Amino acid sequence: MIQRLIISALILAAFIGICLLPQAQPKLSQHKRFTKITQEGDKLSPWQGPWACVHDKQNHILWEIKTDNESIHDGYWTYSWFDGEKGKQNFGDCYFEPNRCDTHDLIRHTNQQGLCGVSKWRLPTAKELHSLIQAPTSPALPHIANDFFIHIKQGDYWSSEHSQPLAKQYRQGGQGATAINFHFGKSYTLPYRNAAFVMLVADLPTANIQPQLSRREINTHQKQE
Amino acid sequence: MKTFMQRQTFIVLHVIAIVITIGSMLTGFRIAIISQDWLAPISSLIPQGAVHSWHLGFSIGLTLLVVVFIGYTIWAPFRSYPSIYHKLINYLGYVSISLVVLSGWAVWANFYSHEARSIHQIAMWLMVSYFILHAWVYILQKGRGVFAAILPKRLKMTHVSAVLCLVVIGGFFHTLTLNASHQLDVHTIADTTFIEIDGQGNEPQWQDADTFTVTTIGGANFENGSTDVSIKALANQYESYFLISWQDNSKSTNHLPLLKTPTGWQVQENGFYRFDERTFYEDKFAVMLSDGCEAAGDKTYYSGDKPLKNKPKNWHGKGYHASLDGKVRDLWHWKAVRTNDMYLADDNFIGPPSKHLKGKRRYSAGYQADGKESGAYVMNWQWYSAKGISPKRLPEKMQSHQAVLPWFGSTPYQSAQDTYPIGTFLPSVLYRSNRFEGDRADVRARGQWRDGRWTLELVRKHNTHSKYDVPLQTGTCMWVSAFDHAQIAHTRHIQAIKLRYSL
Repeated sequence: MIQRLIISALILAAFIGICLLPQAQPKLSQHKRFTKITQEGDKLSPWQGPWACVHDKQNHILWEIKTDNESIHDGYWTYSWFDGEKGKQNFGDCYFEPNRCDTHDLIRHTNQQGLCGVSKWRLPTAKELHSLIQAPTSPALPHIANDFFIHIKQGDYWSSEHSQPLAKQYRQGGQGATAINFHFGKSYTLPYRNAAFVMLVADLPTANIQPQLSRREINTHQKQE
Repeated sequence: MKTFMQRQTFIVLHVIAIVITIGSMLTGFRIAIISQDWLAPISSLIPQGAVHSWHLGFSIGLTLLVVVFIGYTIWAPFRSYPSIYHKLINYLGYVSISLVVLSGWAVWANFYSHEARSIHQIAMWLMVSYFILHAWVYILQKGRGVFAAILPKRLKMTHVSAVLCLVVIGGFFHTLTLNASHQLDVHTIADTTFIEIDGQGNEPQWQDADTFTVTTIGGANFENGSTDVSIKALANQYESYFLISWQDNSKSTNHLPLLKTPTGWQVQENGFYRFDERTFYEDKFAVMLSDGCEAAGDKTYYSGDKPLKNKPKNWHGKGYHASLDGKVRDLWHWKAVRTNDMYLADDNFIGPPSKHLKGKRRYSAGYQADGKESGAYVMNWQWYSAKGISPKRLPEKMQSHQAVLPWFGSTPYQSAQDTYPIGTFLPSVLYRSNRFEGDRADVRARGQWRDGRWTLELVRKHNTHSKYDVPLQTGTCMWVSAFDHAQIAHTRHIQAIKLRYSL
């Protein structure tokens, strides 16, 4: 009887012990391809924010992250395609230029700002932009990893690919540039004068495979938010 | 000459009783955890997933067993000579099991559910006490010998046949009870009749419509977690109207307010970090529609902290909504702050579990919003952290008790302009536009709170032709849930409410 009481007490203690164990929280895991980078160039964990850029390990580039703060990076601003020579100047809509906006304006302002410690921003190639397409996790979302690429509209985004023949309905406009539409996850050639959205990219030095994004040392914060 | 129950027959019934009682207790505990946080420590010891269906199955088994045992005992009682202690404990068992069975069925049938749920919980604890005082004390007294006494030594064909027979009968009743539903007759109105969606419900046509009242239970903040929801429905050739009313003593529009503290802006919260806010939240109401009518939400609820294979854990341990059968269930989510001034309910759906995004702390499985072309509410913080936030925008003119900050009545946050004194509150909800556009805006809705009751009017086309909506027609099943300033801790009911149109 005493032995049974002891075993019972042990079973009860084990039960209470299991119940008192701290409940495991959901685990943070790194994304294989994308890393959040702050305005100052610091690396963040996937659950931290806010962030201004995303390091794309696959393409070895930095992506500009759009905002909704009416800054030059606001995701609602649109731009006509213009590289300083070719294209159509000032046919998009933004608040940060006295006239209307084109892609050259955004590149100039972003380089002046030194976003994420980088000052060589450019339009992405069609291949780079196309590589971001992925099925949305909800019908309300665009065809992109919206956990990293926020404020992306279900619309067209300019690439650097230009001098492309236009489709029949735009033929009168001559040539155009390639845009990726994140609503449908497809690419189109649009007239330069079209107002489309833009996500800029910057190349990382080839020596920097890992996230040293500027000459400054990158601080890493793995703390969970 | 009096007939007595054979020992082997008793042993077979006893084994079945053990299995069913343990099954119903384990599934019952999992259901109880949804609304009783103090039970969370045992979460890792009990099953997860679609436990409601299993619980109903065990309830059928227990009911059949009670009926068979009573019938058999009247015809041929089992002769045993327990001690006075075990005799008394057996009475505790008879009382607790009878109460558990009766109160459980009352909850299922929407028959004094509120009271029945309380009785069910008390009876369940009595049953647990009985289980320990009966089984454990026998084990203490007799040791391993008790297992030899309660396990069948040989099975007769009659026992096997009887058990199979019980399983078949149980299966039949399980299907029957699982698919039973209440009925709501939809009153027909002329196409020319105008029903204003204003939360008043004062059009005379509402007086002609039948009222169905369902007691919803298990929510946070309601008195004893329960509120009665009354529902009326009207339909013309094109649209269905619903007038829904429920008791809620407090009008809650204090939705995650932002408070200026000596260390900066802070979100006022009590559980929001775990996505289970229960203090600083708006009142809400949800209507789910499905073309299936299976009890407890037509297979859309999976309880536990990790109920879905290959999907992440949830933060609150309460479970996920998802449809593993691939079918879409429609979900209208009216929110007293975020959608009421849009005159809309958020048109959402429950579909297959979505892909997990590594950059998002919250995973919502199959609970998703319909697509929209534009329009949204957004939260007034640049990035949420429990330690502090920076507001996204500041009001151009500060107004007290403002629940929503309009985008065009505010400017982007700049620390230089943040001269607000400590103790200032800011709204956490920003309207980017005055309503959604597109699929997500299919349900017009407006709620009014008066004298401790919310009255909500909703209208939607019978068929929106959206693949994320369920058509409203005879046979469409409906469930309703009320939220009293709670993010996820809503009330619920078991049987579906089946719509019947006379059009």
